Amino acid sequence: MSAAADSQPVPIEAADCRTPFGDARATSAALRQGRRALTLQPVLGAAGGDSVPLATLPGRSLDETAPPAWLSCLDGLAASIPEAAWGDARHPVFVTSSNFGVGSLYAFARGHGPDHLEFCTPFALVDGLRRRFGWGGNVAVLSHACVSAHVGLLQASRVLAGGRAERALVFSFDFISPFVTGGFHALKILNPEMPAPYAVRPTGSIGLGDGAGFAVLGRSGAGFSLSAQSLYNEMNHFTANRADGAGFAACLAPVAAAAQGRRLWLKGHGTGTLEAGRLEAEGFGRLFPASPLVSWKGGLGHTLGSCGLVELAVAIAAVRGGEAAGTVGTTAPCFVDAVATEPFPTSAYDGVVLASNAFGGAHAACLLTHD
Amino acid sequence: MIERHIHSAQTDDPGPEEPAATRERLRALFPRGATRRMTQLGLLLGGVLDPVRPAEEDALIYASSYGESRALHEYLASFPTASPTLFQTSIHPSAVQQVLVTRQQPVREFLPFGGRAQIVAHAAQAALLSPAGRSIFCGGEERHVPPGTTTAASPIGFAFALALSPAAVGSLGTLRLTESDDAGGELALPEFFLALRQRRAIDQAAAPGLRLTLAWH
Repeated sequence: MSAAADSQPVPIEAADCRTPFGDARATSAALRQGRRALTLQPVLGAAGGDSVPLATLPGRSLDETAPPAWLSCLDGLAASIPEAAWGDARHPVFVTSSNFGVGSLYAFARGHGPDHLEFCTPFALVDGLRRRFGWGGNVAVLSHACVSAHVGLLQASRVLAGGRAERALVFSFDFISPFVTGGFHALKILNPEMPAPYAVRPTGSIGLGDGAGFAVLGRSGAGFSLSAQSLYNEMNHFTANRADGAGFAACLAPVAAAAQGRRLWLKGHGTGTLEAGRLEAEGFGRLFPASPLVSWKGGLGHTLGSCGLVELAVAIAAVRGGEAAGTVGTTAPCFVDAVATEPFPTSAYDGVVLASNAFGGAHAACLLTHD
Repeated sequence: MIERHIHSAQTDDPGPEEPAATRERLRALFPRGATRRMTQLGLLLGGVLDPVRPAEEDALIYASSYGESRALHEYLASFPTASPTLFQTSIHPSAVQQVLVTRQQPVREFLPFGGRAQIVAHAAQAALLSPAGRSIFCGGEERHVPPGTTTAASPIGFAFALALSPAAVGSLGTLRLTESDDAGGELALPEFFLALRQRRAIDQAAAPGLRLTLAWH
Protein backbone atom coordinates (compact mmCIF):
# COMPACT_ATOMS: atom_id res chain seq x y z
CA MET A 1 0.00 0.00 0.00
CA SER A 2 1.58 3.21 -1.15
CA ALA A 3 0.49 5.38 1.74
CA ALA A 4 2.44 3.40 4.30
CA ALA A 5 5.57 3.35 2.20
CA ASP A 6 5.55 7.13 1.94
CA SER A 7 5.69 7.55 5.70
CA GLN A 8 9.46 7.16 5.79
CA PRO A 9 10.83 10.54 6.98
CA VAL A 10 12.85 12.43 4.39
CA PRO A 11 15.07 15.22 5.73
CA ILE A 12 14.73 18.69 4.26
CA GLU A 13 18.12 20.31 4.00
CA ALA A 14 16.92 23.64 2.62
CA ALA A 15 13.82 25.27 1.21
CA ASP A 16 13.05 28.74 -0.03
CA CYS A 17 10.65 30.51 -2.33
CA ARG A 18 9.93 33.68 -4.23
CA THR A 19 6.61 35.50 -4.15
CA PRO A 20 5.76 39.14 -4.79
CA PHE A 21 6.74 39.72 -1.14
CA GLY A 22 10.23 38.26 -1.64
CA ASP A 23 11.80 35.13 -0.17
CA ALA A 24 10.18 32.74 2.30
CA ARG A 25 11.17 34.79 5.34
CA ALA A 26 9.87 38.04 3.85
CA THR A 27 6.73 36.30 2.65
CA SER A 28 6.03 34.82 6.05
CA ALA A 29 6.56 38.22 7.67
CA ALA A 30 4.25 39.98 5.21
CA LEU A 31 1.52 37.40 5.72
CA ARG A 32 1.83 37.70 9.49
CA GLN A 33 1.18 41.40 9.06
CA GLY A 34 -1.97 40.51 7.12
CA ARG A 35 -0.70 42.02 3.90
CA ARG A 36 -2.09 41.12 0.49
CA ALA A 37 0.12 40.97 -2.59
CA LEU A 38 -3.07 40.79 -4.64
CA THR A 39 -4.23 43.87 -6.48
CA LEU A 40 -7.07 44.29 -8.93
CA GLN A 41 -5.66 44.11 -12.47
CA PRO A 42 -7.20 43.60 -15.94
CA VAL A 43 -7.69 39.88 -16.43
CA LEU A 44 -6.12 39.87 -19.89
CA GLY A 45 -3.29 42.28 -19.16
CA ALA A 46 -2.85 44.85 -21.90
CA ALA A 47 -5.91 43.43 -23.67
CA GLY A 48 -8.05 44.57 -20.71
CA GLY A 49 -11.12 42.85 -19.33
CA ASP A 50 -12.56 42.70 -15.83
CA SER A 51 -10.35 43.71 -12.94
CA VAL A 52 -9.46 40.64 -10.89
CA PRO A 53 -7.11 39.94 -7.94
CA LEU A 54 -3.63 39.10 -9.21
CA ALA A 55 -0.24 39.11 -7.51
CA THR A 56 2.64 39.56 -9.91
CA LEU A 57 6.30 39.99 -9.08
CA PRO A 58 7.25 43.66 -8.52
CA GLY A 59 7.42 45.41 -11.89
CA ARG A 60 6.33 42.35 -13.84
CA SER A 61 3.52 42.70 -16.34
CA LEU A 62 0.98 39.97 -16.94
CA ASP A 63 1.92 40.18 -20.62
CA GLU A 64 4.88 37.94 -21.34
CA THR A 65 8.16 39.29 -22.63
CA ALA A 66 10.78 37.38 -24.60
CA PRO A 67 12.75 36.18 -22.75
CA PRO A 68 10.25 35.99 -19.88
CA ALA A 69 10.81 38.66 -17.23
CA TRP A 70 10.44 36.06 -14.49
CA LEU A 71 13.70 34.34 -15.45
CA SER A 72 15.57 36.80 -13.25
CA CYS A 73 13.41 35.70 -10.31
CA LEU A 74 14.37 32.09 -10.96
CA ASP A 75 18.03 33.15 -11.21
CA GLY A 76 17.83 34.57 -7.70
CA LEU A 77 16.07 31.50 -6.38
CA ALA A 78 18.53 29.12 -8.05
CA ALA A 79 21.44 31.07 -6.57
CA SER A 80 20.17 30.27 -3.09
CA ILE A 81 20.13 26.49 -3.64
CA PRO A 82 22.87 24.70 -1.67
CA GLU A 83 25.68 23.62 -3.95
CA ALA A 84 25.86 20.12 -5.40
CA ALA A 85 26.42 18.50 -8.77
CA TRP A 86 22.74 18.97 -9.53
CA GLY A 87 21.52 16.91 -12.44
CA ASP A 88 24.15 14.18 -12.21
CA ALA A 89 23.26 10.58 -11.47
CA ARG A 90 23.34 10.94 -7.67
CA HIS A 91 21.85 14.46 -7.49
CA PRO A 92 18.63 14.38 -9.51
CA VAL A 93 16.51 17.44 -10.09
CA PHE A 94 12.71 17.35 -10.26
CA VAL A 95 11.25 20.39 -12.00
CA THR A 96 7.53 20.83 -11.56
CA SER A 97 5.09 23.38 -12.88
CA SER A 98 1.53 23.61 -14.06
CA ASN A 99 2.07 26.26 -16.70
CA PHE A 100 5.79 26.23 -17.53
CA GLY A 101 6.11 28.79 -20.38
CA VAL A 102 2.54 28.80 -21.57
CA GLY A 103 2.46 32.59 -21.24
CA SER A 104 5.01 32.64 -24.05
CA LEU A 105 2.75 30.45 -26.17
CA TYR A 106 -0.08 32.89 -25.51
CA ALA A 107 2.14 35.81 -26.56
CA PHE A 108 3.21 33.98 -29.72
CA ALA A 109 -0.39 33.16 -30.57
CA ARG A 110 -1.30 36.83 -30.13
CA GLY A 111 1.30 37.77 -32.76
CA HIS A 112 4.09 38.95 -30.50
CA GLY A 113 6.82 37.21 -32.46
CA PRO A 114 8.75 33.96 -32.79
CA ASP A 115 11.20 34.86 -30.01
CA HIS A 116 8.60 33.47 -27.60
CA LEU A 117 8.73 30.00 -29.15
CA GLU A 118 11.83 28.78 -27.36
CA PHE A 119 9.98 29.03 -24.03
CA CYS A 120 6.68 27.48 -25.18
CA THR A 121 7.08 23.77 -24.53
CA PRO A 122 7.83 22.43 -21.05
CA PHE A 123 10.83 20.40 -22.24
CA ALA A 124 12.40 23.31 -24.14
CA LEU A 125 11.94 25.66 -21.22
CA VAL A 126 13.31 23.20 -18.67
CA ASP A 127 16.25 22.38 -20.93
CA GLY A 128 17.00 26.11 -21.12
CA LEU A 129 16.80 26.41 -17.33
CA ARG A 130 19.07 23.37 -16.98
CA ARG A 131 21.75 25.05 -19.10
CA ARG A 132 21.20 28.41 -17.42
CA PHE A 133 21.74 26.97 -13.95
CA GLY A 134 24.53 24.56 -14.91
CA TRP A 135 22.57 21.43 -14.06
CA GLY A 136 23.35 18.07 -15.68
CA GLY A 137 20.87 16.02 -17.68
CA ASN A 138 19.23 14.14 -14.82
CA VAL A 139 16.30 16.54 -14.64
CA ALA A 140 12.84 15.00 -14.42
CA VAL A 141 9.82 17.09 -15.40
CA LEU A 142 6.44 16.61 -13.70
CA SER A 143 3.18 18.44 -14.23
CA HIS A 144 -0.05 17.68 -12.40
CA ALA A 145 -1.76 21.07 -12.34
CA CYS A 146 -1.90 22.54 -8.81
CA VAL A 147 -0.51 19.47 -7.03
CA SER A 148 2.60 19.45 -9.26
CA ALA A 149 5.04 20.41 -6.50
CA HIS A 150 3.72 17.71 -4.17
CA VAL A 151 4.09 15.09 -6.89
CA GLY A 152 7.71 16.19 -7.40
CA LEU A 153 8.40 15.99 -3.67
CA LEU A 154 6.92 12.50 -3.51
CA GLN A 155 8.91 11.17 -6.46
CA ALA A 156 12.14 12.78 -5.20
CA SER A 157 11.52 11.17 -1.80
CA ARG A 158 11.07 7.76 -3.37
CA VAL A 159 14.27 8.08 -5.37
CA LEU A 160 16.09 8.92 -2.14
CA ALA A 161 14.36 6.19 -0.15
CA GLY A 162 15.30 3.71 -2.85
CA GLY A 163 18.96 4.59 -2.37
CA ARG A 164 19.22 5.95 -5.90
CA ALA A 165 20.38 9.44 -4.96
CA GLU A 166 22.34 11.20 -2.23
CA ARG A 167 20.39 14.43 -2.36
CA ALA A 168 17.50 15.58 -4.55
CA LEU A 169 16.41 19.03 -5.65
CA VAL A 170 12.74 19.78 -6.26
CA PHE A 171 12.27 23.06 -8.11
CA SER A 172 8.87 24.46 -8.93
CA PHE A 173 7.53 27.61 -10.53
CA ASP A 174 4.41 29.14 -12.03
CA PHE A 175 4.08 32.65 -13.33
CA ILE A 176 0.64 33.85 -14.29
CA SER A 177 -0.32 35.04 -17.77
CA PRO A 178 -3.54 35.84 -19.62
CA PHE A 179 -3.62 32.17 -20.60
CA VAL A 180 -4.33 31.09 -17.04
CA THR A 181 -6.12 34.20 -15.77
CA GLY A 182 -8.45 34.03 -18.77
CA GLY A 183 -9.17 30.39 -18.01
CA PHE A 184 -10.02 30.83 -14.35
CA HIS A 185 -12.04 33.92 -15.23
CA ALA A 186 -13.99 31.85 -17.75
CA LEU A 187 -14.72 29.38 -14.95
CA LYS A 188 -16.11 32.42 -13.03
CA ILE A 189 -14.05 31.72 -9.90
CA LEU A 190 -11.58 34.50 -10.72
CA ASN A 191 -13.83 37.50 -10.40
CA PRO A 192 -13.57 41.07 -9.05
CA GLU A 193 -13.85 39.93 -5.41
CA MET A 194 -10.78 39.35 -3.26
CA PRO A 195 -10.44 35.78 -1.97
CA ALA A 196 -11.52 34.99 1.59
CA PRO A 197 -10.56 31.34 2.09
CA TYR A 198 -12.91 29.26 4.26
CA ALA A 199 -15.20 32.26 4.92
CA VAL A 200 -18.95 31.76 4.78
CA ARG A 201 -20.10 34.26 2.16
CA PRO A 202 -22.44 34.36 -0.82
CA THR A 203 -19.85 34.17 -3.62
CA GLY A 204 -16.58 32.36 -3.84
CA SER A 205 -13.54 33.90 -5.47
CA ILE A 206 -9.86 33.20 -5.92
CA GLY A 207 -6.79 35.27 -6.64
CA LEU A 208 -3.82 34.13 -8.71
CA GLY A 209 -0.17 34.83 -8.02
CA ASP A 210 3.38 34.34 -9.21
CA GLY A 211 5.36 31.83 -7.22
CA ALA A 212 8.48 29.69 -7.28
CA GLY A 213 10.17 27.51 -4.71
CA PHE A 214 12.64 24.75 -4.10
CA ALA A 215 13.45 22.12 -1.53
CA VAL A 216 16.63 20.11 -1.18
CA LEU A 217 15.93 16.69 0.29
CA GLY A 218 18.17 13.99 1.68
CA ARG A 219 20.60 15.50 4.14
CA SER A 220 19.62 15.97 7.77
CA GLY A 221 20.75 18.76 10.05
CA ALA A 222 18.29 21.54 9.31
CA GLY A 223 15.76 20.05 11.70
CA PHE A 224 12.88 19.57 9.26
CA SER A 225 11.54 16.42 7.60
CA LEU A 226 8.76 15.33 5.32
CA SER A 227 7.42 12.57 7.54
CA ALA A 228 4.48 11.44 5.41
CA GLN A 229 3.19 12.14 1.93
CA SER A 230 -0.07 11.15 0.32
CA LEU A 231 -1.87 11.50 -2.99
CA TYR A 232 -5.40 10.74 -4.10
CA ASN A 233 -7.18 11.40 -7.40
CA GLU A 234 -10.97 11.31 -7.33
CA MET A 235 -11.51 11.40 -11.09
CA ASN A 236 -15.13 12.28 -10.36
CA HIS A 237 -15.33 15.57 -12.26
CA PHE A 238 -12.82 17.86 -13.94
CA THR A 239 -13.46 20.87 -11.74
CA ALA A 240 -15.52 19.61 -8.81
CA ASN A 241 -14.93 17.30 -5.88
CA ARG A 242 -17.12 14.48 -4.72
CA ALA A 243 -19.87 16.05 -2.66
CA ASP A 244 -19.28 13.65 0.24
CA GLY A 245 -15.70 14.84 0.71
CA ALA A 246 -14.37 11.30 0.24
CA GLY A 247 -11.39 12.47 -1.80
CA PHE A 248 -10.17 14.80 0.95
CA ALA A 249 -10.56 12.03 3.52
CA ALA A 250 -8.76 9.44 1.36
CA CYS A 251 -5.78 11.74 0.91
CA LEU A 252 -5.55 12.98 4.49
CA ALA A 253 -6.09 9.64 6.26
CA PRO A 254 -2.55 8.25 5.76
CA VAL A 255 -1.07 11.56 6.89
CA ALA A 256 -3.30 11.60 9.96
CA ALA A 257 -2.18 8.07 10.79
CA ALA A 258 1.47 9.05 10.52
CA ALA A 259 0.85 12.15 12.66
CA GLN A 260 -0.65 10.28 15.63
CA GLY A 261 0.47 11.87 18.89
CA ARG A 262 1.73 15.06 17.32
CA ARG A 263 0.49 18.58 17.96
CA LEU A 264 -0.31 19.97 14.53
CA TRP A 265 -1.33 23.06 12.71
CA LEU A 266 -2.76 22.86 9.22
CA LYS A 267 -1.93 24.78 6.07
CA GLY A 268 -4.79 24.04 3.72
CA HIS A 269 -5.18 24.62 -0.01
CA GLY A 270 -7.89 27.23 0.56
CA THR A 271 -8.10 29.13 -2.71
CA GLY A 272 -11.34 30.86 -1.76
CA THR A 273 -13.86 28.76 -3.66
CA LEU A 274 -16.91 27.91 -1.59
CA GLU A 275 -17.67 24.21 -2.09
CA ALA A 276 -14.07 22.98 -2.19
CA GLY A 277 -13.22 25.22 0.76
CA ARG A 278 -16.07 23.84 2.83
CA LEU A 279 -15.24 20.22 1.97
CA GLU A 280 -11.58 20.77 2.77
CA ALA A 281 -12.22 22.54 6.07
CA GLU A 282 -14.70 19.89 7.18
CA GLY A 283 -12.33 17.11 6.10
CA PHE A 284 -9.52 18.62 8.16
CA GLY A 285 -11.91 19.15 11.05
CA ARG A 286 -12.89 15.49 11.19
CA LEU A 287 -9.30 14.19 11.25
CA PHE A 288 -7.56 17.01 13.13
CA PRO A 289 -10.25 18.55 15.35
CA ALA A 290 -7.84 20.34 17.70
CA SER A 291 -5.63 21.90 15.01
CA PRO A 292 -5.79 25.47 13.70
CA LEU A 293 -6.28 25.72 9.94
CA VAL A 294 -4.86 28.46 7.73
CA SER A 295 -4.70 29.33 4.06
CA TRP A 296 -2.33 31.96 2.69
CA LYS A 297 -3.86 32.32 -0.75
CA GLY A 298 -5.83 35.37 0.36
CA GLY A 299 -2.48 37.13 0.57
CA LEU A 300 -0.40 35.45 -2.13
CA GLY A 301 -3.07 34.34 -4.52
CA HIS A 302 -3.00 30.79 -5.79
CA THR A 303 0.47 30.14 -7.14
CA LEU A 304 -0.80 27.14 -9.09
CA GLY A 305 1.53 24.18 -9.50
CA SER A 306 4.20 25.78 -7.35
CA CYS A 307 1.92 26.33 -4.35
CA GLY A 308 2.97 23.15 -2.57
CA LEU A 309 6.61 24.17 -2.48
CA VAL A 310 6.05 27.90 -1.98
CA GLU A 311 3.84 27.25 1.02
CA LEU A 312 6.17 24.54 2.37
CA ALA A 313 9.01 27.08 2.37
CA VAL A 314 6.78 29.69 4.03
CA ALA A 315 5.71 27.16 6.67
CA ILE A 316 9.34 26.37 7.47
CA ALA A 317 10.07 30.10 7.73
CA ALA A 318 7.08 30.46 10.03
CA VAL A 319 8.32 27.71 12.34
CA ARG A 320 11.81 29.21 12.37
CA GLY A 321 10.36 32.63 13.18
CA GLY A 322 8.10 31.23 15.89
CA GLU A 323 4.83 32.53 14.47
CA ALA A 324 2.54 31.43 11.63
CA ALA A 325 0.36 33.79 9.64
CA GLY A 326 -3.39 33.43 9.88
CA THR A 327 -5.79 33.19 6.99
CA VAL A 328 -5.20 36.53 5.31
CA GLY A 329 -8.34 38.18 3.99
CA THR A 330 -10.76 36.06 5.99
CA THR A 331 -12.99 37.08 8.86
CA ALA A 332 -15.52 34.98 10.76
CA PRO A 333 -17.89 33.26 10.23
CA CYS A 334 -15.91 30.42 8.68
CA PHE A 335 -16.82 26.90 7.61
CA VAL A 336 -15.24 25.51 10.79
CA ASP A 337 -14.26 27.20 14.03
CA ALA A 338 -10.68 25.99 13.69
CA VAL A 339 -9.89 28.47 10.92
CA ALA A 340 -7.25 30.81 12.31
CA THR A 341 -7.66 34.34 11.03
CA GLU A 342 -4.87 35.83 13.12
CA PRO A 343 -1.19 34.87 13.53
CA PHE A 344 -0.39 32.33 16.22
CA PRO A 345 2.79 31.05 17.89
CA THR A 346 4.17 27.81 16.47
CA SER A 347 5.98 26.79 19.64
CA ALA A 348 3.02 24.73 20.83
CA TYR A 349 3.24 22.47 17.78
CA ASP A 350 5.66 19.89 16.42
CA GLY A 351 4.22 19.35 12.98
CA VAL A 352 2.35 20.93 10.08
CA VAL A 353 0.06 19.24 7.59
CA LEU A 354 0.21 20.93 4.19
CA ALA A 355 -2.36 20.15 1.52
CA SER A 356 -3.03 21.11 -2.08
CA ASN A 357 -5.75 20.26 -4.58
CA ALA A 358 -6.07 20.37 -8.35
CA PHE A 359 -8.26 19.74 -11.37
CA GLY A 360 -9.62 16.22 -11.64
CA GLY A 361 -10.23 16.02 -7.90
CA ALA A 362 -6.50 15.62 -7.33
CA HIS A 363 -5.43 15.80 -3.70
CA ALA A 364 -1.97 15.90 -2.15
CA ALA A 365 -0.85 16.28 1.43
CA CYS A 366 2.34 15.98 3.42
CA LEU A 367 3.40 16.09 7.04
CA LEU A 368 6.21 18.52 7.87
CA THR A 369 7.86 17.75 11.19
CA HIS A 370 10.61 19.59 13.02
CA ASP A 371 12.94 19.02 15.93
CA MET B 1 18.60 -2.53 -10.20
CA ILE B 2 14.84 -2.15 -10.14
CA GLU B 3 12.50 -4.09 -12.40
CA ARG B 4 8.93 -5.11 -12.94
CA HIS B 5 7.39 -7.60 -15.28
CA ILE B 6 5.10 -6.67 -18.13
CA HIS B 7 1.68 -8.29 -17.94
CA SER B 8 -0.04 -6.25 -20.60
CA ALA B 9 1.43 -4.15 -23.40
CA GLN B 10 -0.99 -2.08 -25.44
CA THR B 11 -0.14 0.27 -28.31
CA ASP B 12 -2.05 2.38 -30.80
CA ASP B 13 -0.49 3.92 -33.89
CA PRO B 14 -3.17 6.09 -35.49
CA GLY B 15 -0.90 7.31 -38.30
CA PRO B 16 -2.36 10.40 -40.00
CA GLU B 17 -5.83 9.76 -38.57
CA GLU B 18 -7.79 12.92 -37.76
CA PRO B 19 -9.52 13.30 -34.37
CA ALA B 20 -12.99 12.67 -35.81
CA ALA B 21 -11.85 9.34 -37.23
CA THR B 22 -10.21 8.38 -33.95
CA ARG B 23 -13.44 9.23 -32.15
CA GLU B 24 -15.43 7.03 -34.48
CA ARG B 25 -12.95 4.16 -34.25
CA LEU B 26 -12.81 4.12 -30.45
CA ARG B 27 -16.34 5.28 -29.59
CA ALA B 28 -17.46 1.86 -28.39
CA LEU B 29 -14.89 1.86 -25.60
CA PHE B 30 -16.50 4.80 -23.80
CA PRO B 31 -19.91 5.48 -22.26
CA ARG B 32 -22.47 6.83 -24.69
CA GLY B 33 -21.88 10.51 -25.47
CA ALA B 34 -18.62 10.64 -23.53
CA THR B 35 -16.30 11.04 -26.51
CA ARG B 36 -17.85 14.26 -27.76
CA ARG B 37 -15.53 16.53 -25.77
CA MET B 38 -12.54 14.22 -25.55
CA THR B 39 -9.30 15.14 -27.24
CA GLN B 40 -7.54 12.85 -29.68
CA LEU B 41 -4.89 12.13 -27.06
CA GLY B 42 -7.58 11.33 -24.51
CA LEU B 43 -9.23 8.93 -26.95
CA LEU B 44 -5.94 7.22 -27.77
CA LEU B 45 -5.07 6.84 -24.08
CA GLY B 46 -8.57 5.54 -23.42
CA GLY B 47 -8.03 2.92 -26.08
CA VAL B 48 -4.79 1.56 -24.69
CA LEU B 49 -5.94 1.80 -21.06
CA ASP B 50 -9.19 -0.04 -21.74
CA PRO B 51 -7.73 -3.58 -21.59
CA VAL B 52 -5.52 -2.62 -18.63
CA ARG B 53 -8.36 -1.17 -16.53
CA PRO B 54 -6.60 0.99 -13.93
CA ALA B 55 -7.85 0.35 -10.39
CA GLU B 56 -7.88 2.57 -7.32
CA GLU B 57 -4.72 1.24 -5.71
CA ASP B 58 -2.69 1.05 -8.94
CA ALA B 59 0.05 3.59 -9.52
CA LEU B 60 -0.64 5.37 -12.79
CA ILE B 61 2.39 6.90 -14.46
CA TYR B 62 1.81 9.06 -17.54
CA ALA B 63 4.35 10.49 -19.95
CA SER B 64 3.81 13.02 -22.72
CA SER B 65 6.25 15.60 -24.05
CA TYR B 66 3.65 17.82 -25.70
CA GLY B 67 0.44 16.93 -23.88
CA GLU B 68 -2.79 18.46 -25.06
CA SER B 69 -1.45 20.50 -27.96
CA ARG B 70 -4.68 20.63 -29.95
CA ALA B 71 -6.73 21.74 -26.95
CA LEU B 72 -4.03 24.27 -26.06
CA HIS B 73 -4.16 25.90 -29.45
CA GLU B 74 -7.95 25.73 -29.71
CA TYR B 75 -8.13 27.35 -26.28
CA LEU B 76 -5.78 30.11 -27.42
CA ALA B 77 -7.98 30.69 -30.46
CA SER B 78 -11.01 31.14 -28.18
CA PHE B 79 -9.69 34.41 -26.70
CA PRO B 80 -10.83 37.02 -25.81
CA THR B 81 -13.83 34.95 -24.69
CA ALA B 82 -11.77 32.10 -23.26
CA SER B 83 -13.41 28.68 -23.33
CA PRO B 84 -13.65 27.17 -19.84
CA THR B 85 -13.94 23.66 -21.27
CA LEU B 86 -10.83 24.00 -23.42
CA PHE B 87 -8.96 25.55 -20.49
CA GLN B 88 -9.65 22.48 -18.36
CA THR B 89 -8.84 20.15 -21.23
CA SER B 90 -5.56 21.86 -22.06
CA ILE B 91 -3.78 20.96 -18.81
CA HIS B 92 -0.94 18.49 -19.14
CA PRO B 93 -2.44 15.31 -17.67
CA SER B 94 -5.90 15.93 -19.11
CA ALA B 95 -5.81 12.94 -21.49
CA VAL B 96 -5.72 10.45 -18.63
CA GLN B 97 -8.18 12.49 -16.57
CA GLN B 98 -10.65 12.50 -19.46
CA VAL B 99 -10.52 8.72 -19.54
CA LEU B 100 -10.81 8.15 -15.80
CA VAL B 101 -13.43 10.82 -15.17
CA THR B 102 -15.50 9.29 -17.95
CA ARG B 103 -15.15 5.88 -16.31
CA GLN B 104 -15.52 7.32 -12.76
CA GLN B 105 -12.35 5.52 -11.76
CA PRO B 106 -10.34 7.02 -8.89
CA VAL B 107 -6.64 6.26 -8.53
CA ARG B 108 -4.52 6.96 -5.50
CA GLU B 109 -1.29 7.66 -7.35
CA PHE B 110 -1.14 9.58 -10.60
CA LEU B 111 2.30 10.85 -11.58
CA PRO B 112 2.30 12.77 -14.89
CA PHE B 113 5.69 13.41 -16.51
CA GLY B 114 6.77 15.90 -19.16
CA GLY B 115 10.25 16.41 -20.60
CA ARG B 116 11.65 14.81 -23.71
CA ALA B 117 15.12 13.27 -23.86
CA GLN B 118 14.97 11.52 -20.48
CA ILE B 119 11.20 11.28 -20.08
CA VAL B 120 11.09 7.50 -20.53
CA ALA B 121 13.80 6.88 -17.93
CA HIS B 122 12.21 9.17 -15.37
CA ALA B 123 8.67 7.90 -15.86
CA ALA B 124 9.90 4.30 -15.82
CA GLN B 125 11.75 5.05 -12.59
CA ALA B 126 8.49 6.23 -11.04
CA ALA B 127 6.69 3.10 -12.24
CA LEU B 128 9.41 0.82 -10.90
CA LEU B 129 9.87 2.59 -7.55
CA SER B 130 6.19 2.87 -6.68
CA PRO B 131 5.21 0.68 -3.76
CA ALA B 132 1.84 0.00 -5.38
CA GLY B 133 1.21 -3.63 -6.27
CA ARG B 134 0.64 -2.78 -9.90
CA SER B 135 2.05 0.12 -11.89
CA ILE B 136 0.54 1.22 -15.14
CA PHE B 137 2.98 3.14 -17.33
CA CYS B 138 1.18 4.90 -20.14
CA GLY B 139 1.95 7.72 -22.52
CA GLY B 140 1.44 9.22 -25.89
CA GLU B 141 1.13 12.22 -28.15
CA GLU B 142 -1.44 13.61 -30.53
CA ARG B 143 -0.37 14.70 -34.01
CA HIS B 144 -0.81 18.40 -34.58
CA VAL B 145 0.61 21.24 -36.64
CA PRO B 146 -0.35 24.48 -34.88
CA PRO B 147 -0.42 27.71 -36.88
CA GLY B 148 2.97 29.28 -37.46
CA THR B 149 5.18 26.74 -35.71
CA THR B 150 6.39 23.18 -36.10
CA THR B 151 8.03 23.02 -32.67
CA ALA B 152 5.10 23.41 -30.29
CA ALA B 153 3.32 20.13 -31.00
CA SER B 154 4.07 16.53 -31.85
CA PRO B 155 4.40 15.63 -35.55
CA ILE B 156 3.14 12.12 -34.82
CA GLY B 157 0.44 10.54 -32.70
CA PHE B 158 0.67 7.35 -30.66
CA ALA B 159 -0.27 5.85 -27.33
CA PHE B 160 0.87 2.97 -25.18
CA ALA B 161 0.12 1.37 -21.82
CA LEU B 162 2.11 -1.20 -19.88
CA ALA B 163 0.80 -3.06 -16.84
CA LEU B 164 3.74 -3.84 -14.57
CA SER B 165 3.97 -6.01 -11.48
CA PRO B 166 6.65 -7.81 -9.44
CA ALA B 167 5.28 -11.23 -10.51
CA ALA B 168 7.28 -12.92 -13.27
CA VAL B 169 4.85 -15.77 -13.87
CA GLY B 170 2.81 -15.27 -17.02
CA SER B 171 4.55 -12.05 -17.98
CA LEU B 172 5.28 -10.86 -21.52
CA GLY B 173 8.57 -9.20 -20.71
CA THR B 174 10.52 -7.11 -18.25
CA LEU B 175 11.20 -3.41 -17.78
CA ARG B 176 14.37 -2.75 -15.82
CA LEU B 177 16.48 0.23 -14.74
CA THR B 178 20.06 -0.34 -13.72
CA GLU B 179 22.33 2.23 -12.13
CA SER B 180 25.23 2.92 -14.46
CA ASP B 181 28.26 5.14 -14.86
CA ASP B 182 26.79 6.80 -17.94
CA ALA B 183 27.05 10.56 -17.67
CA GLY B 184 24.43 11.03 -20.36
CA GLY B 185 21.72 9.05 -22.08
CA GLU B 186 18.48 9.69 -23.92
CA LEU B 187 15.36 7.77 -24.81
CA ALA B 188 12.39 9.74 -26.07
CA LEU B 189 8.80 8.55 -26.21
CA PRO B 190 8.58 7.85 -29.98
CA GLU B 191 11.52 5.44 -29.82
CA PHE B 192 10.12 3.72 -26.75
CA PHE B 193 6.72 3.45 -28.41
CA LEU B 194 8.21 1.86 -31.53
CA ALA B 195 10.04 -0.71 -29.44
CA LEU B 196 6.80 -1.60 -27.69
CA ARG B 197 4.90 -1.72 -30.95
CA GLN B 198 7.46 -3.98 -32.60
CA ARG B 199 8.18 -6.01 -29.45
CA ARG B 200 11.81 -4.99 -29.86
CA ALA B 201 14.31 -5.08 -27.01
CA ILE B 202 16.02 -1.97 -25.63
CA ASP B 203 19.22 -1.87 -23.62
CA GLN B 204 20.70 1.62 -23.47
CA ALA B 205 21.60 4.58 -21.29
CA ALA B 206 18.35 6.49 -20.97
CA ALA B 207 19.39 9.25 -18.53
CA PRO B 208 22.50 10.07 -16.52
CA GLY B 209 23.17 7.04 -14.35
CA LEU B 210 20.15 5.12 -15.63
CA ARG B 211 20.32 2.23 -18.10
CA LEU B 212 16.93 1.07 -19.34
CA THR B 213 16.35 -2.50 -20.42
CA LEU B 214 13.19 -3.67 -22.14
CA ALA B 215 13.18 -7.41 -22.69
CA TRP B 216 10.50 -9.67 -24.20
CA HIS B 217 10.05 -13.35 -23.38
